[in-house]
Amino acid sequence: MDTRTKNVSLEDLQKIVGEDHAREATPEDAIDGVQPSFVAAPGSVEETSELLKFAADEGLAISPRGGGTKVSLGNPPRELDLVLSTARMDDVIEHVPGDQVVRVQAGIKLQDLQERLAGSDQMLGIDPPETQSGATAGGVVAANSSGPRRHRYGTIRDLIIGITVVLSDGTVAKAGGKVVKNVAGYDLSKLFTGSLGTLGVIAECNFRLHPRPEAARTVALEPESTQAAGAAAQAVLHAQLVPSAVELHWGEDERLLTLLIEGIPPGVEAQSDTASYLLRGFGEVRTLTDEEADTLGPSDGGEEVAVKISAPPAELTGVLDSVLGACSRRGVAPRVTGHAGIGVTYLALSGADQEAYAQIVEELREIWSRRGGSVVVREAPPAFKERVEAWGPLGSRLELTRRVKEKFDPRGIMNPGRFAGGI
Amino acid sequence: MDRRNDPPDPRETGNPYDTTDATERRDDPSGHAQDQGMAGAVGAGSPQDIPRETLGTRGSVRQTVGIGRSTETGSYVFPAFDNHHPPEKDLIDDCVHCGFCLPTCPTYVLFGEEMDSPRGRIYLMNKGLDEEPMDDTMVRHWDLCLGCMACVTACPSGVQYDKLIEATRGQVERRYERAPEDKAFREMIFQLFPYPNRLRVATAPLRLYQRFGIGGMLRKAGVMDRLPKRMKAMEALMPMMTRQQEVPDITAPVGEKRRRVGFIKGCVQRVFFSEVNAATVRVLSAEGCEVVAPKSQGCCGALSVHAGREEEFQRFARKLIDAFEDTEVDEIVINAAGCGSTLKEYDYLLRDDTEYAERARAFAAKVKDVSEFIQELGPVAERHPLPIAAAYHDACHLAHAQGVRQQPRATLKQIPGMDVREIKEAEICCGSAGIYNMVEPEPATELGDRKARNVLNTGARMIVTSNPGCMLQIQASLRRMGHSMPMAHPVEVLDASIRGEPVETLLDRR
Amino acid sequence: MERDGLISAMKSILGPEGVISEREQLRSYECDGLMNYRVIPELVVLPETAEQVQMIVRTCYEEGIPFVARGSGTGLSGGALPVEAGILIVMSRMRKILEVDIPNQRIVVEPGVINMWVSEEVANDGYYYAPDPASQIVSSIGGNLAENSGGVHCLKYGFTTNHVMGAEVVLPDGSMVNIGGGKAPDAPGYELLGAFVGSEGTLGIATKITLRIVRKPEAVRTLLAAFKDTEEAGGAVSGIIGAGIVPAAIEMMDALCIEAVETAVHPGFPQVGAILIVELDGPAAEVENQFEQTLEICEENNASEIRVAEDDAERALFWKGRKAAFAAMGRISNDYYVQDSVVPRTELGKVLKKISDLGEEYGMRVANVFHAGDGNLHPLVLYDNNVPGEAEKAEKLAGDIVFTCLEHGGSLTGEHGIGEDKKKYMPKMFTTDDLNVMQLLRCAFDPHQICNPGKIFPTPRLCGERPGPFRMHPVQKAGLAENF
Repeated sequence: MDTRTKNVSLEDLQKIVGEDHAREATPEDAIDGVQPSFVAAPGSVEETSELLKFAADEGLAISPRGGGTKVSLGNPPRELDLVLSTARMDDVIEHVPGDQVVRVQAGIKLQDLQERLAGSDQMLGIDPPETQSGATAGGVVAANSSGPRRHRYGTIRDLIIGITVVLSDGTVAKAGGKVVKNVAGYDLSKLFTGSLGTLGVIAECNFRLHPRPEAARTVALEPESTQAAGAAAQAVLHAQLVPSAVELHWGEDERLLTLLIEGIPPGVEAQSDTASYLLRGFGEVRTLTDEEADTLGPSDGGEEVAVKISAPPAELTGVLDSVLGACSRRGVAPRVTGHAGIGVTYLALSGADQEAYAQIVEELREIWSRRGGSVVVREAPPAFKERVEAWGPLGSRLELTRRVKEKFDPRGIMNPGRFAGGI
Repeated sequence: MDRRNDPPDPRETGNPYDTTDATERRDDPSGHAQDQGMAGAVGAGSPQDIPRETLGTRGSVRQTVGIGRSTETGSYVFPAFDNHHPPEKDLIDDCVHCGFCLPTCPTYVLFGEEMDSPRGRIYLMNKGLDEEPMDDTMVRHWDLCLGCMACVTACPSGVQYDKLIEATRGQVERRYERAPEDKAFREMIFQLFPYPNRLRVATAPLRLYQRFGIGGMLRKAGVMDRLPKRMKAMEALMPMMTRQQEVPDITAPVGEKRRRVGFIKGCVQRVFFSEVNAATVRVLSAEGCEVVAPKSQGCCGALSVHAGREEEFQRFARKLIDAFEDTEVDEIVINAAGCGSTLKEYDYLLRDDTEYAERARAFAAKVKDVSEFIQELGPVAERHPLPIAAAYHDACHLAHAQGVRQQPRATLKQIPGMDVREIKEAEICCGSAGIYNMVEPEPATELGDRKARNVLNTGARMIVTSNPGCMLQIQASLRRMGHSMPMAHPVEVLDASIRGEPVETLLDRR
Repeated sequence: MERDGLISAMKSILGPEGVISEREQLRSYECDGLMNYRVIPELVVLPETAEQVQMIVRTCYEEGIPFVARGSGTGLSGGALPVEAGILIVMSRMRKILEVDIPNQRIVVEPGVINMWVSEEVANDGYYYAPDPASQIVSSIGGNLAENSGGVHCLKYGFTTNHVMGAEVVLPDGSMVNIGGGKAPDAPGYELLGAFVGSEGTLGIATKITLRIVRKPEAVRTLLAAFKDTEEAGGAVSGIIGAGIVPAAIEMMDALCIEAVETAVHPGFPQVGAILIVELDGPAAEVENQFEQTLEICEENNASEIRVAEDDAERALFWKGRKAAFAAMGRISNDYYVQDSVVPRTELGKVLKKISDLGEEYGMRVANVFHAGDGNLHPLVLYDNNVPGEAEKAEKLAGDIVFTCLEHGGSLTGEHGIGEDKKKYMPKMFTTDDLNVMQLLRCAFDPHQICNPGKIFPTPRLCGERPGPFRMHPVQKAGLAENF
């Protein structure tokens, strides 16, 4: 690690963003135990650019932050000097309902955005659980967060149509535009999706919208076994149903496979009937009330280690079996949730020691990387992440990934060490 | 009269772009309506008619010029074309280079190279008009074109590729110096096939050859393999010789006389498939036609014009027009697809001939393919049942060149009990293509085998098609694959039905 | 490397049948679907395996020879235009469908596989491949990937980039990477696949592509509505979208287009000012309901005639008419210049009026066919090349149309790509910084600038690395490039 000049004072930052918008950092601002020196919140793209240029000149390591809901994602930072908060850049720049497109500043809270869009009967088709905790649009893009509705609407990568970024040397660049169909130039919007702030700061995003569904109903199946769960998910996938979400909940006390059916009332009615009929061979089927559906969330804290497994969707049974097997052998009772139609499963581990968790993750990673999937540690104590690297191997992509990083952030000041491949 | 390029009435059936006809033919709607629409946009009946594989990837026939072709001469002519009927710039300019013709072109399907696609060939013609010489390479790619005209059907811009390739071939024949053995072989073909009497004499020994199974002996002894490829090809194509039936000069109608029609006997047709001619005359008579078959008629010149032998063609054409001069017929009926398409173009092909232009126009206006004619006339004779599954093969010169697809099928479907099966990749030529299967045996064999496989996959018990060339080609491929399937012309099937003959009549043959 | 040396090197990799070197044959590859630009390639090679592609690219990398990949050559922006003194790598012989995986709703194909074959392959299982460009019968998946092709169904279903799950790519240095999960979602690392799709062949050559296939919808209803002019038709479109309906496809054609298409493929369209083809698909109950609504909306907007497709055949006929639109232009005009501009849908009416005004001003005919749902227009400027000066006028008019679209917040291209043709307009849509940052990506993939160089960006920037010991980059030699 090269020595960097850290003769930076708070006043230097305040000169750029204003007195009220730069402060010294506190322990709450730490990322995986690494505490930065300062937190600064630029109010515009220009301020962001200036701030980054300054930081680059001074060699400061920067971590962009939106709602701070995903700061635990990735490996602990190699170093961290400044947290760049997008909290002040929270406007809707343009919303034209007739075009089903919205342009926002990256710091806008997803929740606020959805409320605003609901006024025109529209929505952004992304529903990560962190929405309630203040996740921002830019953060969702940077972390590639997603929720149950990705089954129908795709991830943020499928919804973003334009982006404005600020690179570590202060360059401001945009790509895409405000029209859904656009192949002019490279699709940098996609490149930045999931980049976790390592390529630059996302300043503005443009998204395509969908109409808000009028009605909704949740059909739930209690699968008799992991086989039944997997088979039921397959049946749903290959039927001509169009559910908004297909979710799995598998815990000690509760096992459910739920289908969220949304649309116009006659459609919801008919599809719910079809779904119920289809699922009845796999276990008990019932319709959930709104309250029941709402309480069924993903695990909400309390776990010590959170893991995400990506596998081919048809292997749901295999995933469940491998998880349950690995956990039971080490005396861990996992809480499993997942997007059953996509192949993404979330594992919340608690009640045992770090070594057990580490072994579980390693075992699962061994199995599922070979089958074309991946196992990522989403949240864990820093020490754990030293033991088990958060992302897993990049394989043949490593070299190329490094080259991309080098081009966009030659000095390596954006979130160093947090990303896959040791970037 | 060539009516292909007039905008036909969309409600009229038999329209080459008539998709209602297409899905009527297919009972399993494969793919999306969009896929069907797409297939229909290139004139195919259904997505299943567009080829799915290329043999190019399997490495069987991957041709580029200069690989093992013995017929190169180093001939170099610049400019490529002279002023006598070069391929017309206007027609070339119609091509917008969209590429929709590529998937239906048999040579593109085989080789996967741009130069062996209609788009590429037109491009070469364009270059030849002003910039490039005519040399081995150019001629090679033009020679490889089968002239099947699937591209004409497919082209959304209406490029008249048929006119372009014929003009080009004429130029090639006049200006390009072929290798001596190539020249000799072609000359031999053209001294033989357009002359029925010579053909009869030359193939007389064939009956003995076949009777005594000499071919089999030669094959077993390994001698056959050592013959030059083209000889081998010809040997493989030879049909089983049957007793020849003559068509009388004039045949009376059965019952009331509805029409007086002329009948064209053809060359290969009358020598090798004389029973088709006999059946045709019987059917026409049964449908109330007085049939006039002038004895003096010779070849229609189709093979010649398709090979670019312009002068030879014109001689044949004039003689044929003369033969029908005073016959006073309402229509002129032809049962061979390859001949029919040329006959309908007589007016265009003889447009420069001051003496014959008008007569050619009158002649061409009367020409009808026999299935076309029967449907137009409207059936009157009773059809007796023929319960059999038959695969109908669209001859290129009937389907693509004349746009006659629905009529032969209708003719068959009017026979009670007939189960007409559709062949997959129907748009792709069987490889016969005039003399193509003799001068370019390798690609022709690939295409023939491909067609034969598709035919076998229909599960039909016999093949029905309107062209003698196709019959020879598909049968040769089937034989090579160790199969055999009886074949018949649609009019032969109709004849058997009208005469109340049992199905075995059709099956116990060839 | 001398030409002969190159030819023999290629022949040793591919065998003699895989190398085309004769002049006339090379000429037939000098352009793709866009005839306005022609460059004769030095050599054309036709690989059949990914390893061969690697070896070819490796040779090019070591010798500093630029290369261009080509599929079926139907692109409309000159993306497959060869590079001077470069090799053209034609992928049309890599046409195998490698794996069909219905349980995981995916299929793995080689890049030369034709778009429509994918749908055909899985049709019997009740699936199809959603991106359906009008050229689907001949365009290849590799080409679709390079251009991020759309099609009439992309409003609802998205584009190629939403349906590609993974790709094996040969990078310009000859190494091979697997980008995108291919089997499982959310692979860790950067979204390289998303950046690769739509990169117009400038970042590498895909040799295996994993595609997502989609279950056929339960119900499909299609209608054709005739309107007095595009304005009224546009009103209907707004009404439909405003009602919260997401049609599977919603296409508009104006009078000139209708005329051309009628002459070409005779779908029997009503000869009116504008027609709208609307297709809804999805669960039956939903479709029925929304279809009724759509009919009402069309009527409210004064549709003079509404035809509902009664069966597959009629629906196929509607689509045939629409998909043959471009090529059908050849029937009413000698030449045409097709544009591919996008504007926000709410600006459509204004832009169409502007285009028609421009047409009048220039005295040239402009036909319009477009994807009304997403604002992607295809104005076809009709002209006659034989009349001196018309071609230039047409280009100028096309340029004005592009500027109009940009002024209204649109984009240079919705599906055809920038390629060679629209490079010059890039600075109108993007700032220098924007373009420089995009080129950073290119430098990461292709530091020596040999992979389809000269496309997309008007001024190529070298990446500060010397491309080979003794050879100045031809682009640099031509004084066209600057160093980063």
